[in-house]
Amino acid sequence: MSLIKYLIRRSLYLIPVFLGITLLVFSIERLAGDPVQIATFGNTHITEDQRQRIRQYYGLDKPVYLQYLHWLSELLVLNLGDSFGGGSVSNLVGQGILATLELQLLGLFLSLVIAIPIGIYSAKRRYSVLDVTLSSSALVGTSIPISFMGIAFILIFGYYLNLFPSGGAQSTIQSQYLYGNVILDQLWHLTLPTLVYTFAILAPVVLLVRSSMLEVLRQDYILAARASGLGDRAILYKHALRNALIPIVTYVGLYFGGLLAGAPVTETVFNWPGVGALFVVKTNVLDFPVIQGVVVLITLMTLVANLVTDLTYAYIDPRIRID
Amino acid sequence: MSQWELAWRRLKMNKAALAGLVIVGVIGVMALLDQLIALYPPNCNVGTTPNCPNPGPKPDVWAIGIPPSWSFPFGTNLAGQDVYSQIVYGARAAFLVGIGATAIALAIATLIGLVAGYFGGWVDNVLMRLTEVVLVLPFFLILLVFLRILFTLSPGASGGLLVIILVIGAFSWPGPARIIRGEVLRVREFEYVAASRQIGASGFRILFRHLFPNTLHIIIVLSTLQIAGSILTEAAVSFLGFGDPNSITWGRQLADASEAVKQAWWAGLAPGIFITLLVMGFNLLGNGLRDALDPRLRE
Repeated sequence: MSLIKYLIRRSLYLIPVFLGITLLVFSIERLAGDPVQIATFGNTHITEDQRQRIRQYYGLDKPVYLQYLHWLSELLVLNLGDSFGGGSVSNLVGQGILATLELQLLGLFLSLVIAIPIGIYSAKRRYSVLDVTLSSSALVGTSIPISFMGIAFILIFGYYLNLFPSGGAQSTIQSQYLYGNVILDQLWHLTLPTLVYTFAILAPVVLLVRSSMLEVLRQDYILAARASGLGDRAILYKHALRNALIPIVTYVGLYFGGLLAGAPVTETVFNWPGVGALFVVKTNVLDFPVIQGVVVLITLMTLVANLVTDLTYAYIDPRIRID
Repeated sequence: MSQWELAWRRLKMNKAALAGLVIVGVIGVMALLDQLIALYPPNCNVGTTPNCPNPGPKPDVWAIGIPPSWSFPFGTNLAGQDVYSQIVYGARAAFLVGIGATAIALAIATLIGLVAGYFGGWVDNVLMRLTEVVLVLPFFLILLVFLRILFTLSPGASGGLLVIILVIGAFSWPGPARIIRGEVLRVREFEYVAASRQIGASGFRILFRHLFPNTLHIIIVLSTLQIAGSILTEAAVSFLGFGDPNSITWGRQLADASEAVKQAWWAGLAPGIFITLLVMGFNLLGNGLRDALDPRLRE
């Protein structure tokens, strides 16, 4: 019961935050002046009369506050308007978001599954050869630009070893499918981008699990558990990990939005048909309806991720009550 | 012995932090000396212009895509530029972006963190709601839009790097602001703050004479980490082709090289490694400073 109340209260609280964000996003395209003028800047083939007709078509000739209210009300029914390049923004973004989430969630899942045991091991055997090796590689991993890692992977595994395709989500013609199977072909295309994503997310999580576990292992209740004769495994995984998870959940929740916003780079490197690559292409031609749509969508998903984070706290640590 | 001397003594014993300091120092010297240690002038296509002749037997042969050699330590790219010289010139941009963006972000973060934490109440409430809104905004996407608008309206605009610095700075403060506020909430409960208030110190004096110096250690650590993050952001922006066309940056070199990575992989290797090194240097330094400055971790 309290959970539902909490959800309702939090959602109500998110409304002003969301409105503030939509207002900001909406004003960005108006900051520099008339969007049609900017998008067609330097184009000598378009006459002033045609510009005026474009404005009328997209409703950009109306007062700004009416444009905002119209955009907002259409947003509620998931209609993001029409792209300057033709086609519905909702369709473009809807197709992209599935590809983006496929990559993001797979990478997030794999990196957590790998990073948590590594971090725990590093904390348990602090300063051992393996710990020093693992945590310094993780440090390099947090410092390397994801574009550099992506290009290196493509060059080595795609070009020189020729093990994986260097881009795209599936082969363009049927005869090129891996073993003639479309699903195998898609998995084959998914491998390299997933590897890069996993490494990128993995590294900071390893360092975080390690430092968080070290902090917890110093506490008295761990000593008490050890004194009462519990084995290493039970202490590490049952008693320590649960408390060490709090900062990790914070990190993952907070950075999920950051990861989504980082999608343009990875998706461009791998020519992956997600919202990130869509955003780059459409920003290059200043297609403002698509830009607004992607920014709002990613913001919304970040808000949802934050909500899930708060709920996860309460699940992991019963002392944190949701009220 | 002062607190800072104690911290320096602890930092000196931390090998990883020292390694970070050395990396940052060496690249910093490189940025300061650029003209003196570069082999060729900036953006010079070796062999095509009189001021940078090809060191080979034929001075006017265009030196395109030459692998690393004695004349070109990191090779040349497909435009015939010496990768090593371009790396040297790019070091300055890396420091400019890192330090410039961080100065802006941390100045805002410190002000908001101090004021929100010290005054509390509705001031705190308003500032923290604002912080949450900015924290949720996908600033990287907004940065790309700003840059594209700038370069569409004024092609060849010279302020590209400045816009990158300003936008990273203007959007990166929420995380640090929350951490600084948390520290202020802790410090303001100490007796010496109450004592200072008892003898009639103004709020302004308490903020800047007591709270600010006692959160400085956190501000320093957050700064080094923010510098690292800003350098990576510039690399990502340039990689996508939204960077400043008039500045030599490692991000742009990496981006240009990635177009022709099969013909001249070395042109991308050097900028990639230098970005990683400098970012790692600042990260190592930041972690070391945190251990050296945080009194609660003292054993």
